Amino acid sequence: MITYVARRVLASVPTLWGVATVVFVMARLLPGDPARVIAGVLASPEDVERIRQSMGLDKPLLVQYGTFLGSLLRLNLGVSAHTNAPVVEEIGSRLPYTIELAVVALVLAVSGGLLAGVAAAIRRNTMLDLLISSFSVFGVSMPVYWLGLMMIIVFAIDFHLLPAAGADDPASILMPAVTLALFSLGLIARMTRSSMLEVLGQDYVRTARAKGAPFRSVVFRHALRNALLPIMTVIGLQFGALLGGAVVTETVFAWPGVGRLLIDSIFFRDYPVVQGLVLMFGTTFVVINLLVDLLYAYVDPRIHYT
Amino acid sequence: MSKRFLALLSALLVLSACGGGGTGGGTKQGDKLTIAIGPDPDTLDPMRQTTTTIQNIVSMVVETFVFVDPDGKYKPLLATSWQTAADGMSWTFTLKSGVKFTDGTPFNAAAAKANFDRVLTAGNTCPLCGAFRGVQTIDAVDDTHLRLNLKQPIAPLLGLMTEVTFGFLSPLTIAKGTDAFKDQEKPVGTGPYLLTDRVKGDHVTLTRNDQYWGAKPSYKTQMFKIVPEAASREALVRAGQADVILLPPASDIPALQADKTLKVILAPGDRTIFLAFNQSAKGNPLLQKPEVRRALNYAVNKELIVKSVLFGAASPMDAPMASSLFGYCKTGGPYPYDVTKAKQMLADAGASNLSIKFIAPTGRYIQDFQAAQAIANDLTAAGVKVDGPKTSDWPTYLGTINVPPASSSVDLHLLGWAPGFLDASQAMTQFQSSQWPSAGLATSYYKNAEVDSLLAKANSESDPAARQADYCSASKLIWNDAPWIFLWVQRFPMVTTAKVTGVQAIPNESFYTVYASPA
Repeated sequence: MITYVARRVLASVPTLWGVATVVFVMARLLPGDPARVIAGVLASPEDVERIRQSMGLDKPLLVQYGTFLGSLLRLNLGVSAHTNAPVVEEIGSRLPYTIELAVVALVLAVSGGLLAGVAAAIRRNTMLDLLISSFSVFGVSMPVYWLGLMMIIVFAIDFHLLPAAGADDPASILMPAVTLALFSLGLIARMTRSSMLEVLGQDYVRTARAKGAPFRSVVFRHALRNALLPIMTVIGLQFGALLGGAVVTETVFAWPGVGRLLIDSIFFRDYPVVQGLVLMFGTTFVVINLLVDLLYAYVDPRIHYT
Repeated sequence: MSKRFLALLSALLVLSACGGGGTGGGTKQGDKLTIAIGPDPDTLDPMRQTTTTIQNIVSMVVETFVFVDPDGKYKPLLATSWQTAADGMSWTFTLKSGVKFTDGTPFNAAAAKANFDRVLTAGNTCPLCGAFRGVQTIDAVDDTHLRLNLKQPIAPLLGLMTEVTFGFLSPLTIAKGTDAFKDQEKPVGTGPYLLTDRVKGDHVTLTRNDQYWGAKPSYKTQMFKIVPEAASREALVRAGQADVILLPPASDIPALQADKTLKVILAPGDRTIFLAFNQSAKGNPLLQKPEVRRALNYAVNKELIVKSVLFGAASPMDAPMASSLFGYCKTGGPYPYDVTKAKQMLADAGASNLSIKFIAPTGRYIQDFQAAQAIANDLTAAGVKVDGPKTSDWPTYLGTINVPPASSSVDLHLLGWAPGFLDASQAMTQFQSSQWPSAGLATSYYKNAEVDSLLAKANSESDPAARQADYCSASKLIWNDAPWIFLWVQRFPMVTTAKVTGVQAIPNESFYTVYASPA
């Protein structure tokens, strides 16, 4: 088990190196002069040049790349060109907000999605199944931007129930979390339904029923546990997608997370912050994939990692 | 189903009741003013800040020698008077005495000098220092007199002194080697408010300075909420969770005006929006003919576009600069819309089959790309073959137009230009051939030797009447040369709830809420 984890961690190094290289190159392929964008249109060429030098952009590309990798090895993500604050600080001050949003959304999506999927599967071809399936399609296909604004109009403007935007109120998280969760909830519900249907038709389920096990125990202990593997893969990927999907949600609801930071940084061509954020997203995906793989072994005792 | 919906609704109710108290708009009168703005401050250091909205916030904390009032007039603030030497080579400011920074340090000539020295220190980032770098030395004559000795006369110096870039921080916070020096993000000034809280990406909170030397503001705190999406800002003010918002979605202005619980302010601005012709040798040779450029000015229906695409958030230009600037004079009516005349003029100039490549930014100015689409229609109606408008994000856009003439690649581009202080000098850099990229952002590559010499003269002229005359003559030449399709001067839309009064604007896209109060 430990050797397996160690091997996976080692194997992630080239992956992250690849991510770092791709984001380094792509940031610089974007047209536009970062120094001019940061200095503003009224700045003199000398001031633009001064900013360019402070960003190290006057040096050859290979030298910049070397500096970047060198600092990365020392776990130094550099300094934001836009704000002059260390990238770690910029990301660190916003990451808790995004994690909070993603976790709440994931809890909503997983609990709601599993329940809805199981309910739809055991009440197959009833009105309930139809309702849940339609709702899942709705969740998967609603554009986050539109849905977010509709929720704001209904719950903040019409009924004065919830804060329209921002994060300074404990109730602020409700609308962004629900908006963000709906897509994943729909996906998880659909996945759970089909996976459950497959399992519910298996012989061992019939056997369990025949020996007199209670219905609830059959559904949750025998069927769901066996149906869970493909669902877990989806959930794992969804957590990453939630971090990314937060970009639009955070903008609509003025939630001060990393998604908005990423957009701002791209529009300012703030290379160090863009690089830092993409690397962070990459690392998150690697870690989550590893965790999901380890969870497989827990859910399915037949799986062993050596 | 309905039961479940009710359960969800009551859960929401309970949750919001638990957590909803005490924030948002539900505060006592005169206690807290909430203002929703778009941009997230990159820095609160006045020297490094370049965004007007953020400068506005900083200037509630950090004061300058001179202040522009909502009528656009220069008024004394931390300087009570000023004098310029007969040769224009030095300026002496008399400082207000008895003023203290909010950390208790006295404001005096030495403190002012420390701040000016800081912005001029080589290696310090001061993107808007520009003309101020013409200062040679700074003398603290005595406690209340400060003299700036210049390398050459700087005619708009007083205008510069209104910019928060040249505002005064407590010298304790800028003395090198102290811990405070690292903390420029928490400016300490002499202003009516103190910076008390900031959460990046979420809000900046100012608290009233009860020791303020001038009139005390009404609101105990003013909170600036950062809400990048215009539709979300609108939702906040409609829900009563913000008292003031800047820049609502333009298309909703009529609906907001119709709402009796809200007030829409379309404040005059100083940003000219225009279409720059590429007049470089690399561009379309037909566009080097003033007759062709004038013809295209007649082809665009500015009034209609302002009314139906910008929803009244602009006024058509009648001079190459905004009327709020020193140096403005009316140079003849706007080119009136006349498509028949435009066609005739194009035919006379041998440009009947003119074809142009047209680009415009998206989301940079009010309804910019939407207006560009309407303009392209108008130009097509005048018989011009229009390739575009094409658009891109701002850095890409700037990278396309901010290039030396030999690398220029489009014939016509939409741009907005707003000077930081209300003087023609920055506005007119657009028409100076010395300001062609890469030296400046005069992206139309316009050159008229007479205009060049008039503008150079105006920049160092110390007699205001003579400056005004120079700018006026230059404006008339430019208006006739038509290096742009002159479009409009953008207004600065703000929305407040009816519960708030006294929200003002300064005609350089600045809001002024210091003396706002409950209605």
